[in-house]
Amino acid sequence: MNSVIFSTTNRLIAGLLLLFSVFLLLRGHNLSGGGFAGGLVAASAFALQSLAFGVGAARRMLIFDPRSIIAAGLVVAFVSGLAGNLAGKPFLTGLWDKTPLPLIGKLGTPLLFDFGVYIVVTGIVCMIVFSLGEEEEG
Amino acid sequence: MGTILISAIASVFLAGFLAPWLHRIAGPRVGVLLGFVPLAAFVAFALMLPQVAAGTPVQASWEWAPSLGIELSFFADGLSLLFLLIISGVGTFIAWYAAGYLHGDPGLGRFTLYLFSFMGAMLGLVCSDNLILLFIFWELTSITSYLLIGYYCRKEASRRAALQALLVTGGGGLAMLAGFILIGRETGTLEISSLLAMQPGALVESTVFPIIFTLILLGAFTKSAQFPFHFWLPNAMEAPAPVSAFLHSATMVKAGIFLLARLHPGLSPSPLWTAVVAPVGAATMIIGVFLALGQKDLKRILAYTTVAVLGTLTMLLGIGTPLAIKACMAYLLAHALYKAALFMASGTIDHETGSRDPDHLGGLRSAMPFTATAAFLGGLSMAGIPFLIGFVSKEYFYKALLDADGPGVLWEFLGVSASVAMVALAATVAIKPYWGSLKPTPKTPHEAPWTMWLGPLLLGVAAIKFGLFPGLAGERLVGPAAAAILADPGFSADLKLWHGLTPALGLSVLTLALGGGLYFLTGKLRSARGLYSFLAKIGPERWYDAGLAGLLGFAKWQTRFLQNGYLRNYVLVVGAFTTLLVGRLLPLDALRPDFTGMAGLSVLGVTTCGLISVAAILACMATSRFAAILALGVVGLGIAVLYFLYSAPDLAMTQILVETLTLVLFVLAFRSLPLLKEFSRRSIRIRDAIVSAVFGSVMCLLVLVAFQFQPGEAPISGFMSENSLLLANGRNVVNVILVDFRALDTLGEISVLAIAALGVLSMLKTRPGKEKGER
Repeated sequence: MNSVIFSTTNRLIAGLLLLFSVFLLLRGHNLSGGGFAGGLVAASAFALQSLAFGVGAARRMLIFDPRSIIAAGLVVAFVSGLAGNLAGKPFLTGLWDKTPLPLIGKLGTPLLFDFGVYIVVTGIVCMIVFSLGEEEEG
Repeated sequence: MGTILISAIASVFLAGFLAPWLHRIAGPRVGVLLGFVPLAAFVAFALMLPQVAAGTPVQASWEWAPSLGIELSFFADGLSLLFLLIISGVGTFIAWYAAGYLHGDPGLGRFTLYLFSFMGAMLGLVCSDNLILLFIFWELTSITSYLLIGYYCRKEASRRAALQALLVTGGGGLAMLAGFILIGRETGTLEISSLLAMQPGALVESTVFPIIFTLILLGAFTKSAQFPFHFWLPNAMEAPAPVSAFLHSATMVKAGIFLLARLHPGLSPSPLWTAVVAPVGAATMIIGVFLALGQKDLKRILAYTTVAVLGTLTMLLGIGTPLAIKACMAYLLAHALYKAALFMASGTIDHETGSRDPDHLGGLRSAMPFTATAAFLGGLSMAGIPFLIGFVSKEYFYKALLDADGPGVLWEFLGVSASVAMVALAATVAIKPYWGSLKPTPKTPHEAPWTMWLGPLLLGVAAIKFGLFPGLAGERLVGPAAAAILADPGFSADLKLWHGLTPALGLSVLTLALGGGLYFLTGKLRSARGLYSFLAKIGPERWYDAGLAGLLGFAKWQTRFLQNGYLRNYVLVVGAFTTLLVGRLLPLDALRPDFTGMAGLSVLGVTTCGLISVAAILACMATSRFAAILALGVVGLGIAVLYFLYSAPDLAMTQILVETLTLVLFVLAFRSLPLLKEFSRRSIRIRDAIVSAVFGSVMCLLVLVAFQFQPGEAPISGFMSENSLLLANGRNVVNVILVDFRALDTLGEISVLAIAALGVLSMLKTRPGKEKGER
């Protein structure tokens, strides 16, 4: 797609979308948002990138292979659950640091879990979009 | 001690997982080095002997899923310990042997991973206290043995044998699981130690006992290759020799024997026990030796004799007298020692000469002195020559048969016949290839590296040691194991070499004489192809093949019928089935819904619903794909608006994002899709309209019913919203449910998502018509 308007806008918007996705992830525990929604927003940033500049550019922007990202996300989610076991509680029991931090809020293993969901979703959508895109580009 | 037990098992697993990585950086030496891990485990288990022999089992337990009665609990009594020692002891030699056998094979690291995982699973299996845990280890051994048998995965025969072993033993394992669950339901516990502590016969009185009994036997018989499931074991000889020596002689196939022995106190009070287990064992024993006599391959001969020995062990367990149990454990120990040695020796012959046909081998003694010595000792023990443990165990076997109330002298007759054949077969595998004149072989024979003969030789030495001093094995190994099987802590087994001039001794002498005579006929039997090929034609392996072919045929047919590649058919099938299943369950008063307690109508809501309906109808009528997509987009966004109106911002946000991404995906796929040229016929459109209308109505009714359904207590949503901040430090209930209250569900969902995405990827990458090698 050779649209100057689209690609110029995309340059501006991609970073904002990624920032917004992280914002959604972090606020998710108290306000609307969360890992799933955040992951979809992040993936849409890469999807737009692939539409504007081709899949190669989007892959470079993502740095890692989507498959590795999915695997990493699953591992993060799983490990966040193991933290409960280490504390002598059942798997996936949330552990919290009760002192709120500026901007981020309270830290806890559910946030880590949500981060795992975030990257799994990003990885999955990117993988599908990139594969379809490469199909198109031939 | 409990910690040591767990650490020993865990270290075997850990060593396995490090193996591929270590192999990459340190090369083939790693195999030898890693052999010291099971050796250390062996020493650790040996240190437990005094405590266990005194009657105190080693125990360790962690909570796992207490609400289901599933614990990570382990206990090692005499029976477990005998198996632990055999597995880790033989396992050490196998690890060394494999390092020599697969020297230079780039897959050695991977092989070691499979082998050690198998060993760990087997160790875990024999000291599991929880039945579910036992099942998990059980199936883990099936899976790892699948990988091991199919190690030469480029060979069709290997893959077939691996799949066969997996289907037969894995299938039996599932039956066993069902049996375990029934045991848990009937007795209220899944802990083996609690089951053993129960009144003998408590389980037998249950009304479902025959079902439990059948299911457990299915598991044990498939794993231990009892007739008619014996066929997978000889086929598994496609595996590399160390695997055959380890899995198919000393360990995995004995898991079924172990299970029968473990559950003996619970199951044996039933008359079914002796009536079923002993005859099946006897039949397997006879079929095993008979088929062994006709084989032209050292490994297959050994495999069939293993089947025969497994039959003998099963028969002894079935007879179940204290003497029979003692004989069974002595026989099991003797067999593990000699069979592992003989398997390794025959693998060495194959490795060094390139042939495994006993008729083409001879005179290897001078070229391979150590291997020949090891095989000789193993052969003597297998034949039951005095001063080897094999002699002692056969004496007790005969004593048990003479002592048991069998049908006439049938048991004695069958036992002696099988032992006679064993003598002839021992001579075929342990004497024939090494003595006589040297015969030409594909490779020039020479002695194997020390890794490959040390183990068999030491096993042979152990066979002599226990043969000369059977009291040692009796007091520390066989006695405590038999005491555990009989659930009689006071039971002690003093094995003796000399019993005086007893009938058993007479039978032993007769056996040796007849066996020596039979040996000279074995050459003729091996060339009697007609009889054996006829038996192969009607044997149970045909049933397996026919069953598998039928299953695959059915799978193919139903896949073509239900999943024919057209998305519209999938939607139709899914919709129609859901309608039928759900519609049948809906109560009739769902038709008179109660709207109290629901939010009222709003102008905006009604307008949005109208918009959605119009857009949906337009999507159906559209003649261009683009129009249909736009219309569907309106439907999706309309639903998002509804979510907003009824205060579900998270859902709305997700819905909008999904809509957006669907559009992006569609844009990407758009160009590859053909133009819409043909439209469905009128009749088909009417059918689809009816199905979708009914489906929609049923879903609508379902939601209305669900809203009114109050299971006694306050709805769960109340609990969630009250506790989300309190327990989970979050105000957004939706998110708290996802990442905390129901995090396990989410973990499952993202795993499913990831697998689905891999499926999408593989479909895109392997579409027919794509050139090979393109990524």
